[in-house]
Amino acid sequence: MKRALRAVPAVWSVLAALVVSVGLLALAGAPPFEALVLVLDGAVGDGGRMADTLMSWVPLTLASAGLVVTFVAGLWNIGVEGQVIAGAIGATWAARTIPGDGLVVIPAALAVGVVAGAVWALAAGVLKTRGGVNEIFGGLGLGFVAQSVATYLIIGPWKRAGIASTSGTEPFREEVWLPTVGGTRLSPVAVLLAVAVIFLVWALLRGTRFGLRLKAVGANPASARLLGVPTEATVLRAFALGGGLAGLAGAVLATGIQHKLVPAIAGGRGFLAILVVLLAAYRIVWVAPIALFFAILSVGSAQLQLRLDLDSSIGGVLQGILVLFVILIGGWQALYRRGEP
Amino acid sequence: MLELRGITKRFGSVVANDGIDLDVPPGSLHAVLGENGAGKSTLMKILSGFLSPDAGRIRLDGREVPTGSPRAALQAGIGMLHQDPLVCLPFTALDNFVLGRRGRIDRAAARREFGELCARLDFDIDPDVRARALSVGERQQLEIVRLLSLGVKVLILDEPTSGISSEQRTKLFAALRTLAADGLIVLFVSHKLEEVEELCDRVTVIRSGKVVGERTLPCPADELVELMFGEVVVSSERPVVEIGSPALRVGGLAAGGGRQRIADVSMEVRAGEVVGLAGLEGSGQRTLLRVLAGLEPVRSGTVEIAGRRVDGSSYEHFVAAGVHYLPAGRLEEGLVPGLTIAEHLTLAARLPEWVVDWEAARIRAEEAIEHFRIKGGPDTPADALSGGNQQRLLLAMMPKDLRVLLMEHPTRGLDIESADYVWSRLLARRESGTAIVFSSADLDELVGYADRVVVFFSGRVLADLAAAELTADRLGTLIGGKVAS
Amino acid sequence: MTRAKKTWPALVALVALVLAACGGNGATETPETPETQAPETTAEPFVFGMILVGPQDDRGWSQAHFEGGKYVEEKMGAQMIVIDKVNPADRPDTSVEQVVDQMVEQGAQLIFATSDDMKDGILAAAKAYPDVPMIWSSGDSAWDIGKAYAGLPNLGNIMGQMEYGKMMAGCAAALKTETGSIGYLGPLINDETRRLTNSAYLGARYCYENYRGLNPDDLTFSVNWIGFWFNIPGVTLDPTQVTNDFFDGGADVVISGIDTTEALVRAGQRSAAGEKVWAVPYDYRGACAEAPEVCLGVPYFNWGPSYLEVARSVADGTFEATFQWVGPDWSDINNPDTSAIGFEFGEGLGDARADLEDFIAGLASGEIDLWVGPLNYQDGTPFLAAGEKATDLQIWYMPQLLEGMIGASSAE
Repeated sequence: MKRALRAVPAVWSVLAALVVSVGLLALAGAPPFEALVLVLDGAVGDGGRMADTLMSWVPLTLASAGLVVTFVAGLWNIGVEGQVIAGAIGATWAARTIPGDGLVVIPAALAVGVVAGAVWALAAGVLKTRGGVNEIFGGLGLGFVAQSVATYLIIGPWKRAGIASTSGTEPFREEVWLPTVGGTRLSPVAVLLAVAVIFLVWALLRGTRFGLRLKAVGANPASARLLGVPTEATVLRAFALGGGLAGLAGAVLATGIQHKLVPAIAGGRGFLAILVVLLAAYRIVWVAPIALFFAILSVGSAQLQLRLDLDSSIGGVLQGILVLFVILIGGWQALYRRGEP
Repeated sequence: MLELRGITKRFGSVVANDGIDLDVPPGSLHAVLGENGAGKSTLMKILSGFLSPDAGRIRLDGREVPTGSPRAALQAGIGMLHQDPLVCLPFTALDNFVLGRRGRIDRAAARREFGELCARLDFDIDPDVRARALSVGERQQLEIVRLLSLGVKVLILDEPTSGISSEQRTKLFAALRTLAADGLIVLFVSHKLEEVEELCDRVTVIRSGKVVGERTLPCPADELVELMFGEVVVSSERPVVEIGSPALRVGGLAAGGGRQRIADVSMEVRAGEVVGLAGLEGSGQRTLLRVLAGLEPVRSGTVEIAGRRVDGSSYEHFVAAGVHYLPAGRLEEGLVPGLTIAEHLTLAARLPEWVVDWEAARIRAEEAIEHFRIKGGPDTPADALSGGNQQRLLLAMMPKDLRVLLMEHPTRGLDIESADYVWSRLLARRESGTAIVFSSADLDELVGYADRVVVFFSGRVLADLAAAELTADRLGTLIGGKVAS
Repeated sequence: MTRAKKTWPALVALVALVLAACGGNGATETPETPETQAPETTAEPFVFGMILVGPQDDRGWSQAHFEGGKYVEEKMGAQMIVIDKVNPADRPDTSVEQVVDQMVEQGAQLIFATSDDMKDGILAAAKAYPDVPMIWSSGDSAWDIGKAYAGLPNLGNIMGQMEYGKMMAGCAAALKTETGSIGYLGPLINDETRRLTNSAYLGARYCYENYRGLNPDDLTFSVNWIGFWFNIPGVTLDPTQVTNDFFDGGADVVISGIDTTEALVRAGQRSAAGEKVWAVPYDYRGACAEAPEVCLGVPYFNWGPSYLEVARSVADGTFEATFQWVGPDWSDINNPDTSAIGFEFGEGLGDARADLEDFIAGLASGEIDLWVGPLNYQDGTPFLAAGEKATDLQIWYMPQLLEGMIGASSAE
């Protein structure tokens, strides 16, 4: 299966999904091409929108980059959503408790976010290596736990004065928000982080012993062990790194986008990241453009309602069609290669 | 009349079935005999539609049977009884019996039919008992009557006697004779000589994916052994070996579980000595090798490397003690599909560096490619290499100084030239005092390269013989579990 | 790596496609003809934005605002730009600030942010666009004597005096309950929800005592908060489950305080299964339609007239950012053109309707004033001394539930 996925099904899937989407939009009584153009315009039409799209791209890219690391190591780290939440919780804790100005608190918040995400992922890793719990179930379970912890903190210890609402904590003081530029919501720090992470993961997988070990463990753990790869340690490091990057995504969401902790802070990005990485066939260079595509779709689809008065769920429908086509085309490719069902 | 013509099936670079022809007339009890891995199971899966062949045709009573669909095969009258009967455990026997029928099911008629079939074959199954409560033998009986009720004309049995009692075996054989007498074709797949001799009237022997002979039974066992394992040429020329101190000592070893269990294994291998492990596959050789490699825990007994106890230690500890293991499944547990030759050598070199020096790695790979005559480049993925070249890559990855080298089927699937080359490299290791322990299904290889041969049967050591005392006959019958005398 | 090189051209092509689409957009960017434009207007219509927290057809809070916007469109020939489900769970990539950006760009001259949850976003947006009038419905940022006065000259507040509506809801429940036990399905806990829940309790006590002739101290009134304005799976309690728990625990009427209609729907299902249970939904005039036979009536918001007034003031340049706490038109609380809140009677009320009408008449005439002491808070501390009337500030900012109510006054 992994081999089949190597042939990036993204391009064909996206094209096929676009064709079907055009048809669906026409059925919904909307001018299809205009609708697609509106989505694009809503996402990249001017500086401010590009800034929003980039800020949506950053956490998705960070989480996806982390997921590439674990997927390459053959780990179905489905608990990314929980790791993003854990990172956001960690960053929120730092932003609320650490005194000082942004220069001190922001790096601390990002670092605590990384650690929190890594710890959350390591928990799934230890459950797998020591407890024999498949990482899919461990990850999902820990995701629910992270969600519950976030909700508890928001409605409990971190509640706004006199209020018990899951709507979120009090916003952080403005000096610990990620600094933005040009009157937009764009944080250059966040974008630089995402670009740096892509480069680092690329370099890690390409040029380091650790990267080689990850690939070996991912492709064949039994052989890797015989070849002298410490499989358990490698698996745990992969979890820690992947979770750390997901945690960084959560920290950016908390300090750079929401400026507070909300229960839905991950907003499904952890699950979307799985899709991004599958579409990218585990290759980090593809993660950036594919995540950008999703960011455009997500930010731009608000336009369908604002301008065309289309039902707001159409953006989700487009995304669903895309998922379907990725799986379908990936499956066809696999069939074609093996020559038999 | 069942006719197979030119059945060919490849898995990657391995040819499992190579142009197999087979003719079986109605009313036959026909055996398909061969060592494990000879290609019998592949052939039967093709015949019953579970695999589609790369080439070849199947005809039954002059009619073409569509390949690649179990349902089509069943409709054409070919049914297979699997090693683990395909029985739905929570269902009753009768429910299982009617499973797979189409349209409306008349349960009363089905119950009557079930009773009649069971009576005819002298089976005793309560139709209302849950399948979970049936023994493996009874599940087989259930599956047989089900297939018969679906109108099969060819009944394939894949190693049906493993896991059933001797009483049930007798019953099964009697039933099969009854069916053959009624004109059914019974294809009996086995690697057990005795059973084939007991039950069947004709046998086709398969070796390395090819039909190597057909005989009418009874015929001399030696002849069949030779067909199964190939002509045994005992090498008269033995290299002079200087046997040193004990490199490996095993005492009262028990390990593994289920069919992989070994018990009460004791042996000693000295530096520079080559010991072959013989036996039908699954007789315990693999478990022993894996225990000696540090990959499987010891239940009881001791393992010593150069006089030091290592049982209970980690794999890494075994490696540090100078043990190296070359498994049989090269791509399953030895090489990493997708990684290149250079990447493999880099991993195996166990260098302490953080950042890989790919320039140096390529040079290392090119040297190894030249030295070991691997057909490929530094960037060739391991899974793109042929079997022989994969084995050469594994040899290239072996550490320099070894006390004990463990190998499983070191030349399986290799052409003669590659096999010779591999052995020349391996035997060269003896000169530096490496003890070699290998398992093989190839009698020629065992007798030709080992100083001693240890024969396994059912997880126990049946015999430990100097290669010089061995004859092909003796080894062949020992492997089949018949202790001479 | 070789395969990656081969796929790059495809990626380049994809990017080119995207860029081409963008480029094409520049040329075609002419404002679309608004489909909702009233036919008689020929000049550029008044454009306003409406940001909803839930679905625009939720038969609750969000739909009430949406209908209010429709009312403005109809009466002014204005054009509404609406976006619903603006909350981090439904739209992780769409913030209130972003929506305001886009609405302003589309020419919105007035923007309604219609949820308590949008506080941070709309305050930031109002600062970013000081020239664009905005309304934060249900908020208190423009109340100069309030606790959260922000002093933004372009951000006003509008809220209906739902206290009356909730008193009617509580009364209806008290008139109908046979078990003497009422459940209140609360959203989250804040000033607004404490105020409204207390109002419902006051109404229930009054009617239980005065129309049923029963001892109000025997009335069980339990509040359970789900944690947000509507159900977010995994985050809030499930309102259907909470409703079930109320009924299982002996309550036979559930008053809903959340944006959506789960309480009524569940009551309808249980009633169909033979139980004698009722519910009082909230927010939207048409809410009873979900299960009419068990609906005792619905206290609802009628945002249209207030929103129209604001829109007109913006259009003629007289807008001022004020705090408006708008009451019912006591001459006809269900007049769609004059009354900010109303009460639609439900089929389930049956014979009790006369008493409820009498209660409403009492409220209208001022004969019944429930904000009069003696009243104590839940922990027994005095709220109002005997005969003391509550001030607006006291009512708006109630720190606790009232004595006699079961449930949390704040977190923990």
